[in-house]
Amino acid sequence: MSTALMVSDLSVAVDNKQILDGFSLEVPFGEVHAIMGPNGSGKSTLCHVLTGKPGYQVKGSASLNGDDLFSLDVDERARLGLLQSFQYPTQVAGVKLREFMMEAAEEMGLGTAEAATRIETESERFGMGPFLDRSVNADLSGGEKKKSEIFQMAVLRPKVALLDEIDSGLDIDAVKQVSEAVEAMRSPDLAVVMITHYSRILRYLSVDRIHVMIDGRLVDSGGSELAEELESGGYEGLRKRLGIEKVLEDGPMRKPADFFTETPFDV
Amino acid sequence: MTAFDAADHANSKSNVPSWRAAQMDSALAVFEALDEPTGVEEDWRYVDYDLPFAGLAQIEDPGEPLSDGPFLASLADNSGRVLIVDGQVVDVSSVSVSVSTLRDLESHEREFSVVAVDHNKLAAAHGAFANDAVFVDVAANQLMDSPLVIEVQGVTPNAASFPHISVTVAENSEAQVLVVYRSADGVELLMVPEIDIQVADGGRLRFLAVQSLDHAATNVVHQRMTLGRDATGRLGEVGLGAKLGRLDLGVSLEGDGASSEIVGLYFGEGAQTLDYRMLINHSGRNTSSDVFLKGAVEDDAQSVFTGLLRIEKDARRTSTFETNRNLVLSENGKAHSVPNLEILCDDVICGHASSVGPLEEDHLYYIQSRGLSKERAERLLIKGFFQEVIDRLPIEGLEAPVSEEVFRRFAQAQKEGRVV
Repeated sequence: MSTALMVSDLSVAVDNKQILDGFSLEVPFGEVHAIMGPNGSGKSTLCHVLTGKPGYQVKGSASLNGDDLFSLDVDERARLGLLQSFQYPTQVAGVKLREFMMEAAEEMGLGTAEAATRIETESERFGMGPFLDRSVNADLSGGEKKKSEIFQMAVLRPKVALLDEIDSGLDIDAVKQVSEAVEAMRSPDLAVVMITHYSRILRYLSVDRIHVMIDGRLVDSGGSELAEELESGGYEGLRKRLGIEKVLEDGPMRKPADFFTETPFDV
Repeated sequence: MTAFDAADHANSKSNVPSWRAAQMDSALAVFEALDEPTGVEEDWRYVDYDLPFAGLAQIEDPGEPLSDGPFLASLADNSGRVLIVDGQVVDVSSVSVSVSTLRDLESHEREFSVVAVDHNKLAAAHGAFANDAVFVDVAANQLMDSPLVIEVQGVTPNAASFPHISVTVAENSEAQVLVVYRSADGVELLMVPEIDIQVADGGRLRFLAVQSLDHAATNVVHQRMTLGRDATGRLGEVGLGAKLGRLDLGVSLEGDGASSEIVGLYFGEGAQTLDYRMLINHSGRNTSSDVFLKGAVEDDAQSVFTGLLRIEKDARRTSTFETNRNLVLSENGKAHSVPNLEILCDDVICGHASSVGPLEEDHLYYIQSRGLSKERAERLLIKGFFQEVIDRLPIEGLEAPVSEEVFRRFAQAQKEGRVV
């Protein structure tokens, strides 16, 4: 299988704070990879940097099917075949989902009739029919928003899908539903990178490889045994096994009120 | 041609009923005593008004009406048409409701000015010089299933005109009125319309005004609506044209259970000023109102919204809200948004929301992340921004031309690189 997504020695900072530090990853076409890691390990930053969100200081390289990503704008990356399912999809008042998808499909090179048919078919599959003529993500529940993101992917058919916490904030039925949807998307022409911090979704979704990210670095990769290790020992256990010291960050400045609450008045 | 002085005033009132002539006489003294607004008055803050009456004249013989514009072509049906040119009613045709002009009311004295004549110099000018008017009377229990169309046009250079429209909706009737303001290309003129709306108990009115004047015209509208018990007034205000387009609107919810909804959109380009001043006064009990206004400015244009929701002492169980959202699309564009509440009663639900800013970065990022170019994403967001208002316009059939005009303006500015 040829490489769909290649990330090499990626370092990212925001306001001079290092978030990713020499991160590398290779995902072949046809595979589903999960990236797991504790809160604040840089998973969402990875998604946004690859998608092209402005505001990051980026070093290193990333390519999709051999094409350099970082020299392209957000929309150019999407047209190349990189799509992100957002952790917090934005509500866009007044813009109807159908209209949005028609325009996006057109940008992806689909004809009007083809786009309309695909929107109909996929909306039926994901139960998105009632939402097509409503504003994008407006008044949707957490689960409906994630479903809408997957529906958009099904319409636009990316080469690389970045799923940022597609399972967070969902009840167990919704996690199953979303997992089934991702499973159904599997194809030899698609690579999926799924970001999560729970192993829960891995019960419903078969992944080819699991990567663990800690402190902005990829620290371990493996198969399902890695998920099991995390399930039992947590990220703490993994740190111990790999000998990764917990970096103590500079805490926030102590406020005067903190001293008062620490004063033992009742002595 | 009649100059705005005492010597020519007799000329202006020569053709009106005697009761109206008496009103014009008393307003003349007020007109002469008042100064033109300068922009320092609180009520005219942000507005650069510079159109002295000394350089204007009133026209007795109205000019040629304009050829058909874009807004009426898409209207499926109407309940008659009224045409006002340069302040004079020149045509009333195939109307299915009672429409009278000032001359038809020789012996029927009517309240005329919708605001106190000393409200400002322009209101006083209307009081002193308005010598024609349209009175629309919708009878009790009458149901209009399409709007009465009133076209208000200005065509003569340096003319000041005073279109006057009075709409009375009787008990339990349902009325629809559409007013379209237009003026001749490149012609400088002043229009000072007054619109008086009275909705009696249980009456329902849907009213839409589309202000599409040429950018050389100035339009200062004084509009008032009074609602009786369980009456409903839905107003739509679309502001696209004029050098200065000002709407001074007052809504009075007097009857218990009355409700009003005011939706509007404006889009300023070039050096336009679009200025909205609203006072929504709740005095009846169990009344509700909603103001929902969205606007955008590009180039050097500016917009003003000041909206006061006032709830009187005895107006228990009032529910009211106002929303004003503004997009500033250029470096020099300015939007002033000043929502206000004055609550004299404690058993109420009310609130306001206001915002001024560029298109949201997060929205652009999200839309672009699906492959839409920045320009296309911006156009989609602009369309979406106004779509929320267009979906709520009280008269059906004008959605397409209004949406197209807004869209055309933005796309044009984008093409010419006038958008930041």
